[in-house]
Amino acid sequence: MRNALIRFQNMDRRWIFLGMALSIMIPLLYPINFPFKVDQRVQAIYDRIEELEAGDTVFISADFDPASRPELEPFYRANLHHLFAKDVKIVMGSLWPYAPPMVRPWLDNIAKEHGKVEGEDYAFLGFKAGNELAIKLFADDLVKAFPSDASGKKTAELPVMKGFRSLKDFGLIISVSAGFPGTKEYVLQVQGQYGLEIASATTAVSAPDYVPYYKSKQLFGLSGGMPGSAQYEKLVFADYRDDPGLSKAKEMAGPAQSVLNMGHLFIVLLIVCGNVAFFLTRTPKED
Amino acid sequence: MKRTIPLIVGFIIGVVMIGEFFIPHYRYRAMTAEFLEWGLILGAGAFILGLVNLVQVNLPKVQRRETDWQYKAAMLVALVITLIVGFAAGESRQADGQTFKWIYDYAFTPLNATMFALLAFYIASAAFRAFRARNMEATVLLAAAILVMIARVPIGESIPVIGDYLPQFMNWIMDVPNTAARRAIFIGAALGAIATGLRVILGMERSHLGGGES
Amino acid sequence: MKRLSIWTLLLPLLVLTSPDAWADTPNTDDAPAPEANERVPEPSEQAPNDDASAPAAEELVEDQPDAKALGDEQAEHSPIQIDSFTVDSFTVKAPKHGTGRKLSLKWDNVEFPNFTFDDASRLFFQWITVEPNKDLVGLRVLRRSNDSKDWAPIGDLLPPETISLEDKLSKPGSWDYKLIGVYTPGKREYELTFTRLAQAWVGTQEVIQGVRLNSELFELLFQFPSLLEEETRRATTLGLSSDSVTGKTKAYFLIAKKAHMMLLGLVVLVGFLMMYYTRRAQRGEEIYIRRIPGIDAIEEGIGRSTEMGKPVLYVPGIDDLQDIQTIASMLILGQVSKTVAEYQSDLIVSCCIPIVREVADEVVRAGYYQAGHPDAFNAANVRFIASDQFAFCAGTNGIMLREKPSTNIYFGRFFAESLILAETGFVNRSIQIAGTAEATQLPFFIAACDYTLIGEELFAVSAYLSKDPRLVSSLKASDIIKVICVVALIAGTVLASMGDTFLIDLFKIRE
Repeated sequence: MRNALIRFQNMDRRWIFLGMALSIMIPLLYPINFPFKVDQRVQAIYDRIEELEAGDTVFISADFDPASRPELEPFYRANLHHLFAKDVKIVMGSLWPYAPPMVRPWLDNIAKEHGKVEGEDYAFLGFKAGNELAIKLFADDLVKAFPSDASGKKTAELPVMKGFRSLKDFGLIISVSAGFPGTKEYVLQVQGQYGLEIASATTAVSAPDYVPYYKSKQLFGLSGGMPGSAQYEKLVFADYRDDPGLSKAKEMAGPAQSVLNMGHLFIVLLIVCGNVAFFLTRTPKED
Repeated sequence: MKRTIPLIVGFIIGVVMIGEFFIPHYRYRAMTAEFLEWGLILGAGAFILGLVNLVQVNLPKVQRRETDWQYKAAMLVALVITLIVGFAAGESRQADGQTFKWIYDYAFTPLNATMFALLAFYIASAAFRAFRARNMEATVLLAAAILVMIARVPIGESIPVIGDYLPQFMNWIMDVPNTAARRAIFIGAALGAIATGLRVILGMERSHLGGGES
Repeated sequence: MKRLSIWTLLLPLLVLTSPDAWADTPNTDDAPAPEANERVPEPSEQAPNDDASAPAAEELVEDQPDAKALGDEQAEHSPIQIDSFTVDSFTVKAPKHGTGRKLSLKWDNVEFPNFTFDDASRLFFQWITVEPNKDLVGLRVLRRSNDSKDWAPIGDLLPPETISLEDKLSKPGSWDYKLIGVYTPGKREYELTFTRLAQAWVGTQEVIQGVRLNSELFELLFQFPSLLEEETRRATTLGLSSDSVTGKTKAYFLIAKKAHMMLLGLVVLVGFLMMYYTRRAQRGEEIYIRRIPGIDAIEEGIGRSTEMGKPVLYVPGIDDLQDIQTIASMLILGQVSKTVAEYQSDLIVSCCIPIVREVADEVVRAGYYQAGHPDAFNAANVRFIASDQFAFCAGTNGIMLREKPSTNIYFGRFFAESLILAETGFVNRSIQIAGTAEATQLPFFIAACDYTLIGEELFAVSAYLSKDPRLVSSLKASDIIKVICVVALIAGTVLASMGDTFLIDLFKIRE
């Protein structure tokens, strides 16, 4: 028995990989969904967007890549649906070079579903290199940072940009961020200086890093990882399901939560079993 | 001389850039903005050097048929194809139907996502190996990790009796001990960064300059 | 060189301690910008434009067969009624601590009257139907430099509730400003022919009853540049103007705010403490540093590599050279490469950013030179892998699995690839030493590496390894500052709990 427990503690990690693979694949094929509550940080994002009126304009910084799609794409899509359903206008830019080919088609498709017109109801400005410098430039002069949008039209002449010259002019900024540069750089570089209202949707790994900013009210809302995206989706789809623009939309993160459930359970089980084996095979010298 | 001039230049530029935070004069800000532009240009220029280095290191290994030379050959072929396709397509390279977009959608995106997905497996094996209650601190860490992991997912909220309290406890862990620890790390790292930056600017640290003498 | 560095530190201090009265102004007149009492005269008070060349109103009407009303053939013929237009306290000032290229405009208590408009047969402006209750569409600010006659609008139309505007200028100097209230009242649309309008321009006050047109002139010029062309355009604005006020820019040499001065003081204090302890260390005084096992393990790891005949792998993070963690990593690399050269082992450096690779190349070369083994340096061992995060990770993993380094050192800024690198290194049974200030990645390194340096320990490594008194003394200085910070935190918490936010306010930075 003792030998078996020692072998268990030192097992080839490929067994762990196999167990993890099964705990991901099985719920994908046979989802078991559990109800979940909405966290106050995600609720804060939803409530603030609900306060917006038709014709208001928000700036979205889409800073993620294909690797973080599962965590952030659901929030991104739900957010676009939410904003377009409220007839809020969107101006979007990106600090990651790999983001535009991914986020722009989604933006265009969702806008089309809501009957929105590029240039009048939304604009995609494209990617800007420079990390923190780019963010400072956005805050100073967004039109200078993007003389033309991703379609080649002059940014200053876009109807949606009328009255908006810099980040300071937008009522709200939503940072969908998977790392650097992202939410942290927005908070450090421009939030305090210009008193901007920023919400963040970020990966689960980065979310704990931004909790201090939420607590000190430098962020008014924080959505962390797939659970956060699922909660936000739940709110949007509950209230806007009947909106014609959402007729083709589906919740993505909610159903995927069953994978999270099983994955987390597997890791917890593994840790607990590992510790049980450790205690049972521990000699007094190990104390 | 080879090290003195870079030291002097580093000192001057360093002091000037620190000064930007305190000096609002538009001429001063125009000068610092220019320095930052130079930095960006240098960084962009270094990409050419990086490309040359990639070829310089890997091509001889392919030619000499060293271990796993096939992977290096695949890398060089992919490099050349992507460069040619990207340059040929120009500004419209990311438009639908373009080969460059195809490479992004069907090669880069899946590979990128796959590497990130490896984390799920590696975290399982790392957690299994590392989370052992060897002492009191490790036990506290272990307990907190298990609680947060369970509370983060819907199944945790569905546990009878404690399910309602788990998310609150998780939020407390994130809001109080986690925030306190992260703030301590931020402050310590920031002070360390100030000291390191000043050491470099004042010329106390010289190892980054290269050269032949200490 | 040492003396030079001390004096060149003091020199900026002498400059910066000068008072902030070194403002750069175009002239020596420091009188504040006048505050204009902007009661706009009634239309009836306005002197009519008595240019003799102005054609008579009736003639112009008759000469304009194109002027027509859309959708309403039986228009009323009532004149435009305009009541007073009052702006209180329209001021233009150079903002304090400004760059010298900004002026702050402020006005309040803007009251705009109600409008009723004339009918189709008498008007020559076209406007777009708006909600009937919203007479005021917005505000527009016009600007001209002191030596110019031409007014130009600044930016777009401001919402009616706007009460302030910050105007960015291309150069410092004196500038005149006007504030315009813009209306689009009425429910009817009319078309115009602009050749007529250009001719009618001079006599518009007589043509359009009751409307003051000084400001509309600028509006129309702004909207329709080609006034002399024969074409029909839609006029969208009609407004009233305030009198102009003048503002002079003022560029400051120093932001003399409390928070900025506190930060400057902190930076100067750190520098001063560093030099003070450097002096003490150079006089022979020993400065104690606590043992950091992770740093001691570096030399052990390099020794292990030599024994096993395997290389050492050094990964300086994936961020750009301007990040302080990457700089710290380069400083450490210098020490590591020197030690590796002394042990006659191999060092592979895997870089994600090309410019980091160039600096690493120089640093490693210098390290080998300092150790007395310049010929042992192999430039092919300092490699740029890929600038994409996961491509770099895959490439570095490939190095680990092929070349099987016995010691992996990760110092710098890492992101999601940290665990993948560390786990692959574990599989390889390498000794792994990691150090980062990136709090999100610390748990992964702690779980997968043998030694992890947390946060500021990364910045202490180069001083610890070199044992150079100057560098060690800088650790002492930053420790003193840390103690000061802790005291300030505790004091600030206690004071804030008692309702006194003095310490908090001392460090608030706002532009």
